Amino acid sequence: MSVNKHKPHLLVLPEDDPNRQMADGFALDLNCNYRAIQVLREAGGWVKVVDIFKSDYLPGMRQFPERRMVLLMDFDGKPEDRKSFVAREIPEDIKNRVFVLGVSSEPENLRNATDKKYEEIGTALAEDCAENRQGFWMHDLLKHNEPELNRLIEDVRPFLFK
Amino acid sequence: MLQRLYVHNFRCLENFELKTKAMPSALLIGKNGSGKSTVAAALKIFQSIGRGINRVGQLVEFKDFAHGRTDVPMRFEIEVMLAGSVYHYVLALELPENFKELRVLEEQLLVSGKPVFSRREARVTVPRSAQGGEAQFFVDWHLVALPVIQEQSETDPLHIFKTWLARTVILAPIPSLMDGNSSGETLRPEWNGSNLGEWFSGLLGRYPAAYTTIAEYLREVIPDIAEFRNDPTGKDAKSMNVHFAANAARLVVNFDDLSDGEKCFFLCAVVLAANKAYGPLFCFWDEPDNYLSLSEVGHFILSLRRSFQNGGQIIVTSHNDEAIRKFAEENTWVLDRKSHLEPTLIKLLEDIPVSGDLINALICGDITL
Repeated sequence: MSVNKHKPHLLVLPEDDPNRQMADGFALDLNCNYRAIQVLREAGGWVKVVDIFKSDYLPGMRQFPERRMVLLMDFDGKPEDRKSFVAREIPEDIKNRVFVLGVSSEPENLRNATDKKYEEIGTALAEDCAENRQGFWMHDLLKHNEPELNRLIEDVRPFLFK
Repeated sequence: MLQRLYVHNFRCLENFELKTKAMPSALLIGKNGSGKSTVAAALKIFQSIGRGINRVGQLVEFKDFAHGRTDVPMRFEIEVMLAGSVYHYVLALELPENFKELRVLEEQLLVSGKPVFSRREARVTVPRSAQGGEAQFFVDWHLVALPVIQEQSETDPLHIFKTWLARTVILAPIPSLMDGNSSGETLRPEWNGSNLGEWFSGLLGRYPAAYTTIAEYLREVIPDIAEFRNDPTGKDAKSMNVHFAANAARLVVNFDDLSDGEKCFFLCAVVLAANKAYGPLFCFWDEPDNYLSLSEVGHFILSLRRSFQNGGQIIVTSHNDEAIRKFAEENTWVLDRKSHLEPTLIKLLEDIPVSGDLINALICGDITL
């Protein structure tokens, strides 16, 4: 069945197809409870991620308290500015269940730097989460995610990983 | 694992090559008529040979020649990695002038480059490594030799290869034909799922632990399922019944009365259990998203991909955007055909420039090779 909206689950809203492939690669990892994660359709740009989140998913976030959401976007070299902007768009009452992650520049750069396919990157990131290690997450293009990742892992580990 | 499929002069497949080395799962996409199901038809020929059908006339027909071009041989080649060795099987068929039925022109099985047998027209040659010589015999022109050459043991490459071929799972299920009744056991599912009951019985008969895999999967997708039974209905006859439970109430439903989508869940469960029990299997599933609700498609595809990740291989076709989105550019093959007069072309999605959203490009018909 689809994710059970009354049980803890995670929706991932990717900015574009490379981010979508990474998210699907994450769910492909055998350590991941893939039935508790749903990768949504690509938004088509980081601004649209925020717009779609507000227009389509805000009501559901309030209706279903077990729902978490990852906004997966590119930071185009300005991670702190963008995170601040996005954070201002997330209402206070659900802020603890919304997480903003992404590559500090673009996924293409991460793929080229690591010589891995997008799915493989996603799977490697899931493995690190399952093993409770920083590993791949400490790559130069990803390490800016650390505080947000720690917050996410603490929240989702009980239901997302075996 | 299938590494390469080569087909020539068969329907719309001319000089067609599908390379799936190191791909535990792959997706074929393309417009209607682009040749996706013809790939399944080619694979079905190999499966039939593995299952003992060796009359050429039962495998292909005159009309299967591309554009009726009978002056060019029809060629099928398959390369498979099994237990660390590459098995390469070649079958070329021809229709000489004044012949009414196709005959074998060439046939060969190589394992790691060494011939297990080779054949030219009626003459079959089997190397005898111990003596250093070779044995020769003749087989009817209209019979494929692979099924009739005697196997020495279960470790004989012939046995390994034929068993793998016979156990390939090629599916384009039609739920209305899946009634859950069985009058025997098999490990050879039909493409339309019509013998699911027999497959289910055969799987549980030989590998009882498969019940756990099936039950685990079904409880994930149908949470109120309590159990399922293969109840006897007569001598050697059984019928599958599904027991549901919720709030202390119980309901027993005959398999035949399940919805089309629920029948596909059962089929998926048996595929996953079979791969675990007696795999690694090769599975080709034509449009697995058929009959499923949008909320189920993504997880259905993911469950298949995950199951075959550590053993076996699955290739699916799809027109469903949710299913297509569960694959990546490096494991998605695009098939295209300019017209019915031209052959199928194939390319990996990562080698095709797609501007913008893939699904929108598919909807607009903008992806051509």
